[in-house]
Amino acid sequence: MKRWISVVAVLVLVLAACTGGTTEDTTATTAGDTTVPDTTEGDTTSTTAAETPDTTGAPAGEADGTIIIGTTDTIASLDPADAYAIHDWELLKNINEGLLRWRPGELELTTGLAEEMPEVSEDGLVYTVRMREGVQFSDGTELTAEMYAEQLNRLLTIGPDCPNGVANALATPFLESIEALDSSTLQFTLTRPVAYFPQLLATAAFLPAHPDTFPADECVTFPEAPVHGTGPWYITEYTQGEQTVLEPNPNYTGELQPQVDRIIIRYFSDPQTMALAVQNGDIDIAWRILGAELVSELEGAEGLTIGAIEGGSIRYLILNYAMEPMDDINVRKAVASAIDRDEIVDVVYGGQVEPLYSMVPPGFIGATEIFDEMYQSPDLDAARAYLAESGYDENNPLELELWYPPEHYGAATADWMQLIEQQLEATGVIDVTLQPQEWSTYVTALTGGEAYPGGVLGWFFDFPDSSNYLEPFVFNGGLGTMVTSPEGEPINDQAAQLVDLLNEASVEQDEDARAALYEEIQEIYADLVVTLPIYFETEHVVPRDGVSGSDEYASPETLNIGPNLEFYYSVLSEN
Amino acid sequence: MSPLALIFLIIGIPALIGLAYIFVRGSAGLRRYILTRIGLLIPMVFILASLVFFVMRVLPGDPVRSSLGPKGSAETVARMREQLGLDDPLIVQYGRFLGDIVTLDFGNSLTGGRRPIIDEMSERFPATLELVIPAAGLALLIGIVGGTLAAARRKRPFDYALRLYSVVIYSIPVFWLGLIFQLVFGVRLGWTPIAGRIDPVIATTLERTTNILWLDAIITGNWAALWSSLSHLVLPVVTLGLILSGVFLRLTRVNVIETLQMEYIGAARARGIRERIVVGSHALKNAIIPVITLLGLQVAILLAGAVLTETVFSWPGMGQYLVQRISSRDYTAVQSVITMFAMLVALISLAVDIVYSLVDPRVRY
Repeated sequence: MKRWISVVAVLVLVLAACTGGTTEDTTATTAGDTTVPDTTEGDTTSTTAAETPDTTGAPAGEADGTIIIGTTDTIASLDPADAYAIHDWELLKNINEGLLRWRPGELELTTGLAEEMPEVSEDGLVYTVRMREGVQFSDGTELTAEMYAEQLNRLLTIGPDCPNGVANALATPFLESIEALDSSTLQFTLTRPVAYFPQLLATAAFLPAHPDTFPADECVTFPEAPVHGTGPWYITEYTQGEQTVLEPNPNYTGELQPQVDRIIIRYFSDPQTMALAVQNGDIDIAWRILGAELVSELEGAEGLTIGAIEGGSIRYLILNYAMEPMDDINVRKAVASAIDRDEIVDVVYGGQVEPLYSMVPPGFIGATEIFDEMYQSPDLDAARAYLAESGYDENNPLELELWYPPEHYGAATADWMQLIEQQLEATGVIDVTLQPQEWSTYVTALTGGEAYPGGVLGWFFDFPDSSNYLEPFVFNGGLGTMVTSPEGEPINDQAAQLVDLLNEASVEQDEDARAALYEEIQEIYADLVVTLPIYFETEHVVPRDGVSGSDEYASPETLNIGPNLEFYYSVLSEN
Repeated sequence: MSPLALIFLIIGIPALIGLAYIFVRGSAGLRRYILTRIGLLIPMVFILASLVFFVMRVLPGDPVRSSLGPKGSAETVARMREQLGLDDPLIVQYGRFLGDIVTLDFGNSLTGGRRPIIDEMSERFPATLELVIPAAGLALLIGIVGGTLAAARRKRPFDYALRLYSVVIYSIPVFWLGLIFQLVFGVRLGWTPIAGRIDPVIATTLERTTNILWLDAIITGNWAALWSSLSHLVLPVVTLGLILSGVFLRLTRVNVIETLQMEYIGAARARGIRERIVVGSHALKNAIIPVITLLGLQVAILLAGAVLTETVFSWPGMGQYLVQRISSRDYTAVQSVITMFAMLVALISLAVDIVYSLVDPRVRY
């Protein structure tokens, strides 16, 4: 027994020695007038601020002014020059403010760090923006236009090689240069006129990054905490798969002032567990991604409110032009005619999603319901007629293979694909084979255009503009749609017309003219059946009673989360 | 010092001292046996790591495509593949992988920010240890105590009840049992937290050294964190422990029954030794040897069970990590984790064999 006590005592001493080392290495530095925690222990398991809050020993959930938000998302990158996921952008936009941003709950752009909306040169190639004076990071470092320009230039220099590839999508195709004209003026020179460039400026890719954390020559996906920014919050600590803690930025002077002392994002690996946690009061808000089934379960739960947000996330079928039988326009039109979206919405989702009749969801500039007008689906007679033109009938049915990932877009994908199978086979002329495929294999084959004649994909916009619902599918940005070749050549006259009209719309500054162009584009798109829109999702946020959004902005019932799914933690308060 | 290194230090130093002691004091046969087993470890790990390397590459799917999803253009995909060395000839990639193993560096992951794998394991491994060790302890406790009691009351209702328990509990899926526990003890009764490792607010007050949270709480004297981490451990540990207890219970029961029929037990009874001592001391001591062997074999199953338990309870451990990385075809991460698991299982198996020889003096190597 004595021997065991000695062993334990030695171990405790070893541990105590190690602990002492960590504490000594953890120092606080002062920048400006703000004390800044600075962790220098490089290999700790979590990146944690050295200064601990004064809530030591507080029972769970009783610390004043803390709101806990649950999510099944994960952090993929916190570098603005790299991050390209909804949750990463959400965190970055709460710890940073850029030149422009969207108003909470709306798709309307407003100024952030910019004094006013950008000035555009006559040729549409140069955007000039004046910044507000005296903007500081949460550690007191002042943000100048020179520093901002240097940080944004990371998008053009190291951005293309960063792991998540945001620069290749939102910066390099549009930007020639970014310069500071003086200490408060930034100038963006574009490679071609782009009418929606202000929307791009409001994305997380164009947020200012702290120069000490994000060096000019390196992509830093997981910086050590604290992570400072120019927004209402800063990250005091985060642990992958566990939680992220945000506290108010003492130097923030903008409009979105925090209403609580702390926000904690808690990560769940299973949405069912998250739903139980919000019922149990372990978290204050259950956020993305609750499926339709879980939302139905939570609807009757006491003390919870279900907020439904008609978001911009869509699901669609892709039809592979490079393979038989989808290379036949009649086959594509027959499929478009036979599908009954209302049945999918009602039977599979109990009305929790909305049918989609154009790739551009309602509410976006020039959005139409062209697939409904053109095909009036379900119209089985029309489907049979299209197929008859190509020689298919009951004796010579069309054999169609449709692939889908059974887990990536939620378990209900299998249900609605089975429904589509029934709907297509109801024509009596189509014989469908469904093929489930694990995501990694699926996406590799589908986007490479190699193996599947048809399949399911989802899309969420990078910036809320109709162009972002059309261009990626026509210009073959890796989405498996083949109306232009990988070299950019349109496959036929209609595809060429689409390319020309999209280019025209992207430079058109007049909103009405742009809307008209997008209407025309959608009509050609539907006639060519580039892809087949099925439904757009409703996201849900479930706060417990006592947590609310702000009445000053739109949609307080959804905690001011609008269709762009931007969640500003500053609107949250506890009653 | 990283938590992973610290944990290996805590476990490794006493293990090495113990091994050295056994090596010096043990028989020549035992020394030869230990050396042979350690020697065999190297080809075993090499063969397994090579298998995983090639199987991962035979599987369809691509780490770059999985990580970029449909938004990645062909140009971006090509650039990333080149950066990650996925365009290199297979033999070059294989050589690089073996080099990483030899240096225990493991390289960087291909997805999720391309962090050093050793850092990612450092975050995850302590969480799995925190879950698996008490779960194994609980399974052993229930198995040995229950099995012994069932054997002592053979063919009585208590015995039947425990036998039924062992079959039922072993056949219940981990995720289902976990969900039921969450609903009953978390949501309905409100006795325990239902997910995570610690209360999020209290977590902000805890300084982490080993990343085994209850240990860190003791080291720093943070009693609120200690209580919170222990209360968060209850449901996942009980879930995993109960599932595994069935096998131990049945094995213990069978062995105790067999032992009770031996002559020396009859002699002990004839000497008037109380039945409790006969069963609990004389019989159990011999019956427990196969149970120890089974524990070594169960380590692999325990780690596999932890995968599901970690998912249900949002426990950020190695199991959850492995599942995520397999689905994103993160070759280097999967290879590294499986290689580490293999080394772990082999070492525990070696330790069990050594303990076996100590517990049972009849065993000679």
